[in-house]
Amino acid sequence: MVCLSTHEAHSETGDIRMSKGKGHTGHKNGSGGGKISRRQVLKGAAAVAGVAAGSGAITGFPTIWAQEIKDIELRHVGVSYSVVKAIGDQASADLGFKVTMQNLDTSAAINRFITQPNTVDIPDLEGWQAKLATRRGVLQGIEVAKIKEFDNFLPIFTKGEFEGSVVSRQGISPYEAMYVESKDATEIHEGVTEWATNLPQVYNADSIGYRPDLVVRPVTQWKELIDPAYKGKAAILDVPAIGIMDAALCFESADLIKYGNKGNMTKEEIDFTINKLIELKRDGHFRATWTTFDQSVQLMAAGEVVIQSMWSPAVAAVRVKEIPCTYAAVNKQGDKEGYRGWCNGLGLMRHLEGKKLEAAYEYINWYYTGWQGAFVSRYGYYSPVPSTAQKFMTPAEWDFWYLGKPSPEVVNDPYGVPMEPAGTVRDGGSFIERVTNISCWNTLMDEAAYMNKRWNDFKVA
Amino acid sequence: MSATDNALAEQAVRGRAAGRRRTGGRSWTFYVLLALFIFYVIALYGPMICIYILSFQDVRGGLVFPMKGFSLHWFVDLFTQVRTGDVKGSFDRSFKLAIIVTILTVVISFMSGLAFRKRFRGDTIVFYLMIGSLVAPGLVLGIGIGLIWSYLGLEASWYTSALGAQLSWTLPFGILVMFAVMSRFQNAWEEAARDLGASPMQTIRLVVLPIIAPGLIAVALFGFTLSYDEFARTLQTAGSLNTLPLEIWSMTLNVTSPSLYSLGTVTTIISFVIIGVSLGAIYLIQKRRAARVAND
Amino acid sequence: MALSARMKRNVTGWALILPLVLILIPFFVLPIIGVAVTSFLESDGFGGIIPNFTWDNYLTLFSSDLTFNLYWSTVKFTFFTWVFSLFFGFWVAYFLVFHVRNQLFALGLFLLCTVPFWTSNIIRMISWIPLLGKEGLINSALLAAGIIDQPLEVLLFSSLAVVIAYVHQLTIFMIVPIFNSMARIDKRLVEAAVDAGASKFDVVRLIVLPMCKSGIALGSIFVVSIVMGDFFVVKVMSGGGTASVVGAFYEDIGVLQYPSAAASAILLTVIVFLMVVAILRTVDVRKELS
Repeated sequence: MVCLSTHEAHSETGDIRMSKGKGHTGHKNGSGGGKISRRQVLKGAAAVAGVAAGSGAITGFPTIWAQEIKDIELRHVGVSYSVVKAIGDQASADLGFKVTMQNLDTSAAINRFITQPNTVDIPDLEGWQAKLATRRGVLQGIEVAKIKEFDNFLPIFTKGEFEGSVVSRQGISPYEAMYVESKDATEIHEGVTEWATNLPQVYNADSIGYRPDLVVRPVTQWKELIDPAYKGKAAILDVPAIGIMDAALCFESADLIKYGNKGNMTKEEIDFTINKLIELKRDGHFRATWTTFDQSVQLMAAGEVVIQSMWSPAVAAVRVKEIPCTYAAVNKQGDKEGYRGWCNGLGLMRHLEGKKLEAAYEYINWYYTGWQGAFVSRYGYYSPVPSTAQKFMTPAEWDFWYLGKPSPEVVNDPYGVPMEPAGTVRDGGSFIERVTNISCWNTLMDEAAYMNKRWNDFKVA
Repeated sequence: MSATDNALAEQAVRGRAAGRRRTGGRSWTFYVLLALFIFYVIALYGPMICIYILSFQDVRGGLVFPMKGFSLHWFVDLFTQVRTGDVKGSFDRSFKLAIIVTILTVVISFMSGLAFRKRFRGDTIVFYLMIGSLVAPGLVLGIGIGLIWSYLGLEASWYTSALGAQLSWTLPFGILVMFAVMSRFQNAWEEAARDLGASPMQTIRLVVLPIIAPGLIAVALFGFTLSYDEFARTLQTAGSLNTLPLEIWSMTLNVTSPSLYSLGTVTTIISFVIIGVSLGAIYLIQKRRAARVAND
Repeated sequence: MALSARMKRNVTGWALILPLVLILIPFFVLPIIGVAVTSFLESDGFGGIIPNFTWDNYLTLFSSDLTFNLYWSTVKFTFFTWVFSLFFGFWVAYFLVFHVRNQLFALGLFLLCTVPFWTSNIIRMISWIPLLGKEGLINSALLAAGIIDQPLEVLLFSSLAVVIAYVHQLTIFMIVPIFNSMARIDKRLVEAAVDAGASKFDVVRLIVLPMCKSGIALGSIFVVSIVMGDFFVVKVMSGGGTASVVGAFYEDIGVLQYPSAAASAILLTVIVFLMVVAILRTVDVRKELS
C-alpha cells in the first residue's frame, strides 16, 4: 500500500489511506454530475479511477503541491476537433494549474512543433506526425509506467491487436508510431517498450456520409461514392493524404485496382489513383472538394451533394438541421471496404522538465479519467479508455454512442443542443464493430512529395 | 465677321451652355454612375447582410439559411465564450495589434516617404528590398521568422514577431502610397515656407503634413485592414495566442460557431457609431466655423 | 567643418529610412535568404535538411507541367480580378470625386465603403455560402422574382466565385489610390476643357486618366501582389476546382517538404517581383518624386 507523503497532509486533514477510498471525499465537492476535484485525483480515490485501475496501488505518483503548480501554464496545441477549449477549461478547474489550448490547422501545427518547439508543451499528434516529430528530436518519450490508465488502454493502441485479430497496418496505425526505445530516441521502435511518443486520446473510424432520402440504395460500399448515378452530386475532401486514401478505398471497392498498402502507395498506384480522379473530375462527377468542415455540412444539407467523404460531427450537424444524413457502415468485406481510421494523441515536448514535466504528466493522466472521453464521445469520437468515459456518460448516451443500441431518449451534442430523437441507432453500430473494421489509417507516405504534386494536378484539371 | 469667327463664336456659346448645364441640373452620366455606385455598395454589403441576419439565430443556428429562430444567444456567447474557440480573446489581440501596426505604418511610411524624396546612397537597394518584402509569400517568411526566433531563444508572440512580420507586409503598401501622394507635392511650397523663416520641423508640421494628410489616412486604412486580416505571415509568428484570422481558420476544422457572425454585426455597429460621431463632429465644427466667419 | 550637401543628404536619408531597414532585415531579408538557401538543399523526408547542394528542386519545378498550370490558373485569376476591380474602382472613385458635391458627404460615402473591412476577411469568406449558395439569398431572390427556375450552381464553388470574392475584397485597394490621384486634379482644368467644347468622354480620356496613372498603377500593384500570393480564397471558394501556386506549396509545407516548397516560393517571389517592377516602369513612380 502506498501512502502519499506528508507533503500532501499539509493541505489535507487527517490520515490519508488509499485502501478503502471512502470518507475522504467529504470536504471537497462530491463527484455528482461528473465533476472531479483535483484532490480526488491526487488521492487516487476510488470514486475516480480506482475501480478501473484495479488494485489501487498507484506507484510513482508525482506529488504536486497546490502552491508550486498554480503558476504553471501548459500550452496544448493542436487541431480544433481534438484540442477543445472546453476540455482545457475543465482540466484547469480540476487540476489547479492553467491549461491553455491553442488551435491551429494540421499543417501549421506540425510546422510549429518542428520549428518552434519551445513554444509548445503538449503537442497534439497524429501517428504520422509523431513519426516526424520523433525523428526531429523535439519530443521526449512518455514513461508509460507513470500513466495510470495505460493498462486499460484498448490493445488496438498498445499492442496493435483487438479481440484476437491484428489491427490493420495500412497507413500509419497508432500502434506502429507509438513506441520508442528510450526517452531521447529519435527512431520509432517496432514493438512494445516502456516509452511512448504519444498517447492516443481521441480517434474515430471515418467513412462516407450520404442522404438516405436522395440515394438510390443504402450505402455499404465505398464504390457508391464514384457511382455514375451520383454524377455531379458527390464530393471528397481537399486534404491530399486523406482524400487519396478515400479515393483508394473507392477504387479498390469497385475492383479497379488492388493496393499493396493504401497508406503507402507506390508511384504507379498514386498515378493510377490520381488519373482516375482526374477522369472523374473531367466527367463532372464531383460537385466540389470541400475544405472547411462547414462546407461539407452545407453541401449535404442543401442537397448539393448526395454522397461525400465526411467526418462524424458533420453528419451530426446535418441531422441537427433536421435533414436526414447517414454515416455509411462500410464494414470489411473480404479484402475490400472498411473504415479509414485516425487517431490524435498527446505528446511531451523535449524541453519539459521539473515541476512542469510533473504537471504535464498529471494533465495526461487527467485526460484518461473520463471527463474528456465523455465530452468527445458526443462528437462521435472515441476514448482509448472507454471504461472511464463511461462513468461520465449517462447510460443512455453510453448505449447510443458506444454500444450501438437504439437511444432510449433524446441525444444531445456536446453543448447540450438536442441532436437525435429517441430510438435512433448510431450509424455503423457499436464501437467494436466500427473499430475492428478499420481498413487503413491516416498516414504520411514515402512518396508524399510526389503525391502532393499529383494531387495538385487533380485540382488544376 | 468671317465664317471661322462665326464657327468659333458658336463653339464658345455651346461651351458656355454646356457649362451652365453642368452647374445646374444633373446629366445622364451622373445617374449611370450613381447606379453603379449603389450597385457596388450593395454588392459590398451582400455578405454583410447575411451576417447581420444570421447572427440573430437561436442556439440551434448554423452558418447558413434557413434561419433558425430569433434570439440574442450568439451575442451572449460571443462575450461569454461558451463554445469552441476563443473568439473574443483573439479579437482583442487582433484589434490591438492592428492599431499598433497602423500607427507604426503611418509613422514609418511618412518618414520613408520623406527619405526617398531626395536621392541618397543605397536608396535603390532599400526600395527594391521593400518591393521584395511585398511580393514574397508570407507563409515561408513566417516559418523563417519563427526559426530565427527559436534560434535566438526568443519566444514568438503577437506583439513582437507577429508585429514585425505584419509590418513587413504593410510598410510596402504604405510607402508606395506615400510615393504617389508626395509626387504631387510641390517643392515650391516647402521652399516658400523656408524663405519665410520656417525651420525644417515647422515646415513638415505646418506645410507638408496638412497637405498629405489624406494620403496618411489612406495609409492608415490600408495598414489597419491588412493587419487585421493578415494570415500567412502571422500563422507561424503569433506565438501561443492566436489572432482572430488564425483562430477562425482553425475553427473551420470543426463545427464553426455563429458567434462569428455576431462579431461581424457588433464590429459593424461600432464602426457606424464611430463614423457617425466623427462626421457629425466635423460637420458641427465646420458649421461653427462658417458661423463665426459670417459673424465677423 | 560643414558637411557637404551630399553627405548631409545621405545622413538625413539614412536616418529617416532606418526604421524601415530595421524592420526589413529581420523580417524579410534574413528569412528570404534562409528560404533561398533551403531551396538548394535536400530534404531527408522527415522535415530535416541535408546540406547537399542540388539543383533538383528547381529542375523538378521547371520540368513539370504542374508549375505551368498552377501559374496559368493563378495569373488568370489575377487578370480578371484586376480588370473588374479596376473598372469598379475607377468609376466609384470618379463618382465620389466629380459627382458628389459636398466634401463631407463624399467622405461619408467613402467610409461607408470601408465598414465591411472592419469585419475580418475570413468571416466574410464564410458568409459567401449563405449569400451565393443554392439556398442562399441571391438564389432565393432570383427564384422568387421568377428570373430563374433552378438555383444557379455556378455562383459558388467555381472560378466565378473566386473572382467575386477577390473583387469584393480588393476593389477598395483600387479605389483609394485612384481617389487620391483624382482628388488632386484641379477642377478648373476640367471646367476649362468643357468650356472649350470637350465631351465628357474626352475629359476622362485626356485629362482624368493620364493624371490617375500612378493611382491606377499603385492599385494594380496591390491587386497583383495580393492575388498572386494568396491561397485560401482559392481553396475555399473554388471548392477544390482549381489550385493556386501558394496553395500547392502550402501542402508541401504540411508534410515538411521544405526544399521543394522553398524553391516554389523563390520562383513565385521572382515572378511577382518582375510583374511589379514592370508596372512601376509604366509610371516611373520614383521619378515623379524628385
